[in-house]
Formats: sequence, structure tokens, C-alpha cells
Amino acid sequence: MTDVSKAEIAEPILRLRGIGRRFGGLHAVRDVDLDVAHGERRAILGPNGAGKTTLFNVISGDVGPSSGTIDFLGEDVSVLPPRARAKLGMGRTYQKSRSFLGMTVEDNLYLAVLGTRSGHFRPISLRKRDGEMRDRARELADAVGLGGRFGELVGSLSHGEQRQLEVGMARASNPHLMMLDEPASGLSRGERVALTELLLSLDPAITLILIEHDMDVALRVADRVTMMHDGRVIVEGTPDEIRANQTVHDLYLGRGNHSDV
Amino acid sequence: MTRITPDRVVGIGALVLAVIAPFIVSSYWVGALLTQMLFLGIVAASLIFLSAYGGMISLAQVAVYGIAGFVVGNATTNGNTKGLNLGWNPWWGVIAGIAIAVGVGLLFGALASRSVGIYFLMITLTYSVIANLTFGQVTDVSGFGGISGIPAPGAIGRVEAHQNRLYYVALVAAFLVYLLLRYVARTPFGLTLQGVRDDPIRMASLGYNVNLHRTIAFGFASFVASIGGVLFVWWNGHIDPASIDLGATIDVLVIAVIGGLYRLEGAWVGALFFVIVNNYSQQISFIGPRFHTLIGAIFLLIVLVSPGGLVGLWERALELASGTHKEPSDRTPIEVGPVESHV
Amino acid sequence: MNALKSKWKLVTLAALVVLAAASVLATTATARSSASTIKIAVLSDCQGAFGSFDNQDMAGVVTAMAQFAGAKAKNPNKPRDGWTGGSINGHPLKLVGVGCSNDRADTAIKETKRLMEQLGADILIGPLSGDESIAVANYAKQHPNKTFVDGSAGAQDTTLKVRAPNFFRFNGDGAMWNAGLGDLAHNKLGWKTAAVIADDYSFAWTSAAGFIAEFCAVGGNVTKRVFPPLNTTDYSSYAQQMPTNVDGTFVAVGGAGLIPFLKAYEQAHGPIDGKKFIGNLFWGTPGQFEQLSTRVAGAYVGGAGTAGDLATKAAKAYNAQVGKVFKTIPPYGAAAPQAASTFTYGFYVNTWGLLAGLKANGGNIAGGQKSLQAAIKKVRLATPYGPLYLDKNNQAVINVFYQQLYEKGGKLAVKTVGEIPGVTQTFGGTFSSSTPAPGRTNPKCVKRSLPWIGKTIHPPVTG
Repeated sequence: MTDVSKAEIAEPILRLRGIGRRFGGLHAVRDVDLDVAHGERRAILGPNGAGKTTLFNVISGDVGPSSGTIDFLGEDVSVLPPRARAKLGMGRTYQKSRSFLGMTVEDNLYLAVLGTRSGHFRPISLRKRDGEMRDRARELADAVGLGGRFGELVGSLSHGEQRQLEVGMARASNPHLMMLDEPASGLSRGERVALTELLLSLDPAITLILIEHDMDVALRVADRVTMMHDGRVIVEGTPDEIRANQTVHDLYLGRGNHSDV
Repeated sequence: MTRITPDRVVGIGALVLAVIAPFIVSSYWVGALLTQMLFLGIVAASLIFLSAYGGMISLAQVAVYGIAGFVVGNATTNGNTKGLNLGWNPWWGVIAGIAIAVGVGLLFGALASRSVGIYFLMITLTYSVIANLTFGQVTDVSGFGGISGIPAPGAIGRVEAHQNRLYYVALVAAFLVYLLLRYVARTPFGLTLQGVRDDPIRMASLGYNVNLHRTIAFGFASFVASIGGVLFVWWNGHIDPASIDLGATIDVLVIAVIGGLYRLEGAWVGALFFVIVNNYSQQISFIGPRFHTLIGAIFLLIVLVSPGGLVGLWERALELASGTHKEPSDRTPIEVGPVESHV
Repeated sequence: MNALKSKWKLVTLAALVVLAAASVLATTATARSSASTIKIAVLSDCQGAFGSFDNQDMAGVVTAMAQFAGAKAKNPNKPRDGWTGGSINGHPLKLVGVGCSNDRADTAIKETKRLMEQLGADILIGPLSGDESIAVANYAKQHPNKTFVDGSAGAQDTTLKVRAPNFFRFNGDGAMWNAGLGDLAHNKLGWKTAAVIADDYSFAWTSAAGFIAEFCAVGGNVTKRVFPPLNTTDYSSYAQQMPTNVDGTFVAVGGAGLIPFLKAYEQAHGPIDGKKFIGNLFWGTPGQFEQLSTRVAGAYVGGAGTAGDLATKAAKAYNAQVGKVFKTIPPYGAAAPQAASTFTYGFYVNTWGLLAGLKANGGNIAGGQKSLQAAIKKVRLATPYGPLYLDKNNQAVINVFYQQLYEKGGKLAVKTVGEIPGVTQTFGGTFSSSTPAPGRTNPKCVKRSLPWIGKTIHPPVTG
């Protein structure tokens, strides 16, 4: 964050223009324009099938766009592979936990730290460099409340703890942009509260984009909200504007606001 | 690190037994069975490494081992009627054999790295068939009859006259391979490989080049397999396409599965079991030629009773004995299914 | 703590089991029998292309053991069971094992190791096929204190190139077996040009080399050589490559490939004219040639140094001898008609050569078997098919026969029509240890003189 110059701050950190994505006959995302400013907390809402996760995958590079361009930190990243976008400063989580179940919390975080650094193929352990990365892993574990489970296999963690770990892994590279896909899904009420606290405690310089079904979490954390439906952006505004918007009510809020997936 | 566990005691016991074996068993056991066990174990270990840490079940390990063997055969023989008869010093042959096998392994790996599960298995099976047929057809380097009279380096001497020397060389090689594979698993390279095994998409979004990593892991496993190939031609003095045919490919898979696909030790446990059954079943007249039927039945039994192979049985026995039965899911099973796409 | 204790109990138990197993294995493996027994092993093929001749191999061995060492077949209907009794000068001849190979050199080596090193054989009889024998001869070179006699393998390299001093071959090689055919084709059938098709491995290369060397020596020209891989199933592309603007075709496609090749040839070029074909031994092997059907009547066939229909006293006595020791040789039925099979006779004559050597030195295998090996080198045999002695490479010099296929009562039959006495492996200097081994391009087609040209005789035959 510290190396982002003032000139860049005036620009949005992420700019999408005309993004579309088809899967065969299915038009999952169509013609999306999106600007996210530095340090912004953006929530993306919408019913199931609205195209939120596809949009995330297009931004992170897991799938390529069928049309449109993606600028990140002023650079066109539309055709870069996910690993290159990660190195530019994107971090993300997935709707379904995608941590490494056969490894410990420590190793998961270690891999997340190593990901954007050099030395992926280093076949020898170096006490100093690996020690430093493991210290960083320990810090991250503490930061997401997993300090006590550092040596445990991820497979033995509870669902909520796995979500916390996901957030920790997304933070590991000190990303400029962090994208969280339904971080609260499947969590108990108490766990949601803990997670909300965790998100609010994030460094304000980090830009955050959040897909969330849980309105309590989404509207508390976000300072702007984008509403999607059928692959399109239909409304964008502050949480208050969204709450007041009739279309949003018709489409989404009207059907009960705790529709866990 | 110095905690005494049953695993460690058994491991050290096995190592001590292996070291003193030439003084307690016959020279045939040392020269034929145990030496064979060691190099087959090395090849199987390369397969177990790929499968346990990389989630890649490769059927190309025998092809790679054969490539190293054929290179050594062509490079170091002289005055034969077949092969290139380069007549190099055996050590140069070793270097060339391993280098070329690793090169081909990297190429194989690069082409297969985009595939997972059954597709990866099929592609590597293709490699093994290609290698077998190529050496059968290209009479300049092999042909049907293969290369005979391949010498071991002077320090090992004539293998027939000094069976213990090759045995100890193989033992040291196997032990070093074991330590190397264990060590590498804890390095950034090995941990990354395990991440790739568990979730390649996640690894990509963390900043890793998944395909390149798979490719390099394949090349590394080729390095290990090629060591087995070099020991094989020194031991056998001969290599032909039948040495790396589909049967030989399946044999190594059988060794790995019988031993246990999740732990490196399984490679040598499986190999020992395999060579003993292979050797002694020939003496039983009604089994003799039906060895593969027998080993197939054992294979099936092991898969059904203990997916973790013989080593898995041992682990389970330990757990039962100590009453700390753990769910098998503690050990990550090998993911073979393609990763689902996210819409 | 309790759990830990039982864990250690298990470890102790495992250690005890391992120790017990190791000591049992150690004692069984080191047990050695009395010095005066001569331990013999046989390496046969019981799998692969020649697996069905397994019992013929052993029938040859046991017949010789019965005839020359007083042994008895264990089971007159199952040669593979071996023999009982049998001795030379009071030294019992003990069969310690019969190896099971599959025409692959790799397997032959593994089996040889098992027979020689684990079962402790002093002498090996075998193997059956070409590449196996090259590998075994190389193995023999590394084990000078043991003695090896061939089974029925006919690769040229085995004796001409490897030249192990302790490996002896009392049968001919594939080239020798085709002696007389080049002379026949050029000087009697009037072929000026010929095409050759042969399996792509050492035996078939050697077999083709015999025809090519002689045909070219007398002035013929081989215009095309085609080498399909062994075990090809679809020969159509190879049949297409065969030229029809030649006077004749020599075929050294063996075993399971022969019939498919002939079918593919007919599809490509129309009906086969038997008189324009010469085949190697596979065209005349009992049990196989009948399937060729009468379309190939008139074709000449190279032999394997045998002639089942030979009407000499010695040949008839040999057939009777096989019939006396065995009633049947499975899976091909009655024993006596199988006496002249390449495999039965090959293993027979090699075992005979070995026993003759043992007899000559009084069954003495001491001193690294050097005295035995020297004795075998000097052996001369009056075989059913003529006199035999070994050349300086321990390769037999033999009489060779060729046959012709003809139609008899609507079926294909074979009769011996030519005999070439005293065929040597070198073809009068055409082949030597320094000439390139037979292969896809060797030998070259050159005119030269051969000792037996024009000396073919017509032996008396039965029927």
C-alpha cells in the first residue's frame, strides 16, 4: 500500500469496462462496468445465479472474459493468468473453502505467503528465509484468530475456522485488493459476528470487494454496494441508498434477507 | 526430532538388517533379490512421490527408467553388434543417462501437466507405450533384442564376481533417495507441490504457476527413476524393450500400491514383497507361469483390505494396538477427479 | 501409557518374525548337495510366441538323457516333468529346475539367474529363441565356471559375435538353416531378382541373411527388403510395399504373423503363386504349415537342420527313440512325429553334445569345469541328420535340408528335396566376427564363391 502514489489514488484501483462472460449458451455476466476506488469496501449483492462469482473469477483470472477489459492499478490485466494478478496485488477467497486440507494451518499460510514471492521451486530449506515466512504465517494466524490451531491439519478445523483461514490466506500477500466470496456462508450467528469484526479490523488501505448474502454482514462492512441480477449490474449506491431502493426490495430483500446459500 | 517411535525403530531395524544382509543370507538373495528390490523400490518411490505429494499417478516412471538404462547401455558398451557402441567410461554413461532421462521427463511432464486424474494416467500410459515401441523399432539404439553386456563402473567391478558391491551401491542410492524425497517434501518446492495436489486453482490465485510446478516435479521424479534405471542395467547387464513393456510398467504400479501409495517407505516394502513372490512362485509348478495372475489377486486383495498397502496395514496395527484409531481421512487421499469449474 | 506398551509389544513381535524368516531363508539358501551330483537346469519358453513348444523342448532333453545317460522320463505324456535317474560315470544328473521364458531376452536373463544362482545349477541347457540366446551367451561369458549349451536358438551373433568359451551350440543358426535356397532360386528356379520380407529381430535377420548371402553370391539381386515388427497384426502396409516385378519372394515372417501376412499379400497383389515363394522354417513347422492351405503348394521351404521324412537308418531310429521315451508331447499329440521339430531336435542334439562331453571327461565338473568345456569342444556326433562337429566359436557344422510343399489329397504336405552337407556358419567367409551383424541392411548383396554351390544332394525320403 505504501508504494501507491497519490496520482494512482485518484484513479480507481479496479476498473471494468464491458465485461461479459458466456458459458456456452449461458450469459453469466454481461456488459458490466465497475469502478472500485482505493481503500473502498464494496459489497456485491444479488440473488443466486446473478453472476457474482463469475464476475469474481473473471477479475481474479480464474476464467477469462468473453468481452471487455479489466484494469487493475492502471494496468490492463485482462489476459494475465491468475498468478500474475496475484503478484500485482490481488488476493481472494472462494465461496467453498479452498484451503489445503491435507496440510497444517501453518503450511497453508506459509504457501499463501510464498505465493507472491520468489523461490517456488527452491528445493532446499533456508533457515532465514523460511523462518521469516513462517513468522509471517504465525502473525497471520494470530490476526485471524487461529493462533491456537497453528499446527493442526486444516481438515480437522471447523467450518468457521476454515473461513477465517481463508481470510488469512487472502491477506498473506499484503494485497492491494482483497476479494472475499461469501466469507460468512455456512457460519453460525456467533461466528458471523466474529467474522464481521475481523473484516472491520482490516487495514483501511486495503481495498475490499465482498460477495455476501448476509445483509447484516454486507451492509455493515461495505461503504458502497453493487447489486447484480441476471449477469448485469442493476443498481449501485451506498448501503442506505440500497436499502431504500425499490428494485432491490423487489428482487432480493423482499424475499427475506437471510437467504443462506 | 529424536523421539523414539515404533516407526523409527522399525525403520532403523530394517536399515541395519539391510546393511548386514550379505552376512546372513545367501549370495543369491543379495545379488538377485535384494539388489533388485532396492532399484525397483527407487523407481516405485518416484511414483509414490509424484502420487503422494503431487497427486499425479504416473505410468511413465518405467519408461523414464528405461530411457536412462538404454542411454547407459548405448554409451558404455563397445564391440557389441547392437546399439551405438560409444564405449564411454561408465560414469559418463551415468551422467548422460540421467541427464537425458530428466530432459525427456521434463518434456513428458510439460505435455501432461495440464491433465489430471484419469487423463493424466492415460497420457503417461501413452508415454510408456511410446518408449517401449520406439526402442523396439529403432534398431540403431536397441531393436527387439536390446543391448547386452553393459558394464558397471570399475569401482563396482564385475557384478557377478562382486555381488555385494553393487548391492551396497544400490543400498546407499536407495537410502539417499529416501532421505532426499523426505527432505524435498518439506522444502518450498515440496510444500508447493502438495498445495498443487490439494487445489491447483487456489494455488494459481495465490500466485503459483501450477503447470510449471507439475512439470518440474515430473522432471524431479524422472531424476529419481533414472537412478533406478542405471542400477538396473548394471545389475542386469542387459536391457531390451521387454524390460520396459506394459508388464514392467504395471509391475511398478503394483509394487507401489502393494507397498502403500501414501508413504515413501511403501516403495521398498512393496518391492521386497514383489521380488520374493515373483521368485518363489516360479518354483511352485502350478503357479510358475501364472505369476501375474497371483500378483494380480494379491493386488486386488490389498486394494480392498488396505488402500494404504502393507505400510497402511502396519499403521493400522499400530493404531489398534495403542487404541488411537484415527479416521483414514487424516491422510490426504489422492485427488484424482478434475477440479470443478466455478460458474 | 498402556497403549504405548502394546505398541511396543507389536514392534517386538514384528522384529521376531523378521528374524525368524531371515534365518530360515538363510539356511535353506545355503544348503548344498553332495559334490558328485551334476546339477542341470533347462531354460525353455513356456510363454510368448513359442510357449506351445515348451513340451517339445523338454522332450528333446529327456530323450537324450534316456538314450545317453540311462535316465527315465518321469511322465511319458508330460515331458515338462523331466527325468529321474540318469548318471555319467557314477555322477547323478539332477534336474534342478526348468526355466520359463517368453522369447524376451530380459526374461531369459532373469530365469537364467534364478536357475544358476538360486538353484545352483552347474550346467544350463537352453534357451529356445534368438535374442534370448544372445543374452544368455553374454551371461555365460560372465560366468566362466559354468557350462552352457544352446536349446534351439538360431541367432548368428550368439556364437559368431559373443563367442563365450563356455557356450556351445550343436544346432545351426538361422542363416545356415537356409543354405541351398539361394542356389536353388537362382540356378534351378531361374530367379534373377528377389524381394525379402522378414520379422524385425535377430533371428529373422539371420534367417534372411542366409538366403540373401547365397542368392547374391551366385549372381541374384535382392531389390527390396521389408522388415515388419515382430508381432505385427496388420500386414497390409507391408504387403503393399512388396514389389511384384521380381522373380520371387523370400519370406521370413514367423509364428503368428505368417498367415496374416499371406492374406494381406493376396489382398494387395492377387492369388499367390507358390512357385514364386520361398519360406523359412516356419512354412514347414508341423502344426503350423497345414494352415497355409494349398495355395502355397510348390513353394520351397528352408529347414532347421532336420528332415522328418528322411529315410536313413539313423533318422528313423531317432524318430523311434522319441516315440519310445514319450507317448505324447502335448499339445500336439503323438510324440514320434514331433521328433523332427526344430525344438525337439534342437534340445535333443544339444543335450546329446553335452552328455558326450561329460562322458569323455568322466563327468568331472571340478576345476571351474574347464576339463568339461575342453571335452565338449572336441565332441563329434553322428546325428540322425549327418555328422556334426564344432568350429572354433563352439558352433556346430551341420548338414542342412530344404523341403518343398505340395498338394496331397487336397491337403498341403511337405517333403524333403535337398540336402547340403557340411554347412558352416561363416558361409565360406561371408560372415565373420568382424562383419556387420545381420540386420535391416546387412548383409550387402555381393557376388562371391560359396563352398556348397552345386553340391546339393537329393536324400532318400519316406512316403
